[in-house]
Amino acid sequence: MRGPPPRHPDEQREQLPAVEGVIADAAELQPGNRVVYPNQGVCEVVGVEEKDIAGQKLQLVRMRREEDGAAVLVPKNKVPSIGLRRVATGEQIEGVFHFLAAQFEDPELDWKVRHRDNADRLIAGGVLGVAEVVKGLHSLSRIRPLPAKEREQYDNARHLLVHEVAVSLGVPPALAEDYIDYALMPPAGVKFDLKPPPTPVLLPSRPKRRRPAATEEEGIEDLGLGDLGLGDLDLGEALAAVPEGEAAEGEGAEGAEGAEGEAEGEAPAEGAAEGAEATPGAEETEEEAAPRKARKAAAPKVPAPKAEKREAKRAAAKEPRRKAEKPAKAEKPSKKPAARKAAAPAKKAEKPAAKKTAPKPAAKRGGKKK
Amino acid sequence: MIRVVTLEKIDPADMAFLTATLYRAFGLGTEHAGDRPVPRDAEMDDGRLDAVKFLQDVAPVRTFADDKVLYITSAPLALPPGPLGEPPCWGFSQYGGERAVITTSKLPERGVTEASIETWRRRLAREAIHAIGHLWDLHHCYDAKCAMHPSWSPALPANPEMDLDTFCREKSERRIRLAKT
Repeated sequence: MRGPPPRHPDEQREQLPAVEGVIADAAELQPGNRVVYPNQGVCEVVGVEEKDIAGQKLQLVRMRREEDGAAVLVPKNKVPSIGLRRVATGEQIEGVFHFLAAQFEDPELDWKVRHRDNADRLIAGGVLGVAEVVKGLHSLSRIRPLPAKEREQYDNARHLLVHEVAVSLGVPPALAEDYIDYALMPPAGVKFDLKPPPTPVLLPSRPKRRRPAATEEEGIEDLGLGDLGLGDLDLGEALAAVPEGEAAEGEGAEGAEGAEGEAEGEAPAEGAAEGAEATPGAEETEEEAAPRKARKAAAPKVPAPKAEKREAKRAAAKEPRRKAEKPAKAEKPSKKPAARKAAAPAKKAEKPAAKKTAPKPAAKRGGKKK
Repeated sequence: MIRVVTLEKIDPADMAFLTATLYRAFGLGTEHAGDRPVPRDAEMDDGRLDAVKFLQDVAPVRTFADDKVLYITSAPLALPPGPLGEPPCWGFSQYGGERAVITTSKLPERGVTEASIETWRRRLAREAIHAIGHLWDLHHCYDAKCAMHPSWSPALPANPEMDLDTFCREKSERRIRLAKT
């Protein structure tokens, strides 16, 4: 079975076991067949016709919605992907009734998860998926009134279920609805001899959150230093060279920024926890968030907390000196071109260069004081 | 237009209350269109009427497009059994169609006191609104205060409301606006 359409174009559609009766090939459709178009209802296949659309010759399957006679045209090659399926069999319908009559007092309380799952069930869940939506929302309505959107979804799902049951059992829709509600809201004192309900519909796992980290990283890493010939600049080392007092001066602002960064990092994690009840995908988002934090810590970002600076110092100590020299060489021309002449003895220039360059970012930050 | 047809004699005051209530509920003119005999084919061995057969075989009433006909009988109605058994039948409608039938056999005793008569009339009006609602494409409603809530539901109070809830009222109004006439 094909799951619902991917929420983001770059995401792969998850393959789930097919719902029984899904039509995988348009060749299976014959005029007079009755099929269920997800979210539309029971349709009768009229035939295949060719139409010239935008200069292209398309083969279209023409169907007629039984409820109101509306014409539905589907390109032949799209038939496998829209979830068209055969009308439920007697066995499936029996399973649906046993499911509806079973005790179920555990509706999904997170509206976002519920709404998305219900939409998925209506599209790809077959007749049992539709019954699950009806029963889920009905159970929820016992706890609190449904919001307008879900009230409508409940009514639509009920409408689809009533018509499919009616067609499958060959009874009028009003009678099918009585059967459904007899199972859903049995009169006082009525007990059914129920079979175990069928396995619930499998839904595609939650999509991973789109990471804004890509732009974030670009923002951090691509400072345009490469254009200035400072691509290898190690700002961590430069900061490490800043005297304690100056570093402390800048820490107020840094701390604030660091806290900001943390808050940013926590936001998606919170979002993940919100929906973690229902889906395993939420764990993935948290896992993603953690390495992002780690990446941030490792990144040579100018406003780094103390601990990060210490780590940067240690890392710098391990690295070959060649690297450590680079910033000194590189920073001079950017800050004071005149210092280039004095920088001939590189070893001597190392510390003063750092001293000269380091206060400048501090001074910039100090600009806030203005 | 809603046309009410009776299969047995009914008190004119009850009919007046019913037509007025239906008019208020749907905003459609309602009138009593006389009596009709019970179709023989619909009668079952146990004395009940097969509701589905009844609507197929009952003598027609002259109607225009989008007219709805409501039959009222005192005989108990029956429905064909479904996958979980036979649901109790207070009435039956052709969903989105023209005809509906309700029974007074399941209503509380009419009695002779004003209070009991009022209760009986209100309950009859509720069943009538429920049946006409199905004719205007309304499904059952989960709200026990709505007239479209199933009549056998255990959540239904002893004296249920005879009004539609907001969702059902708006939906029926939409359908009526979109009707041909």
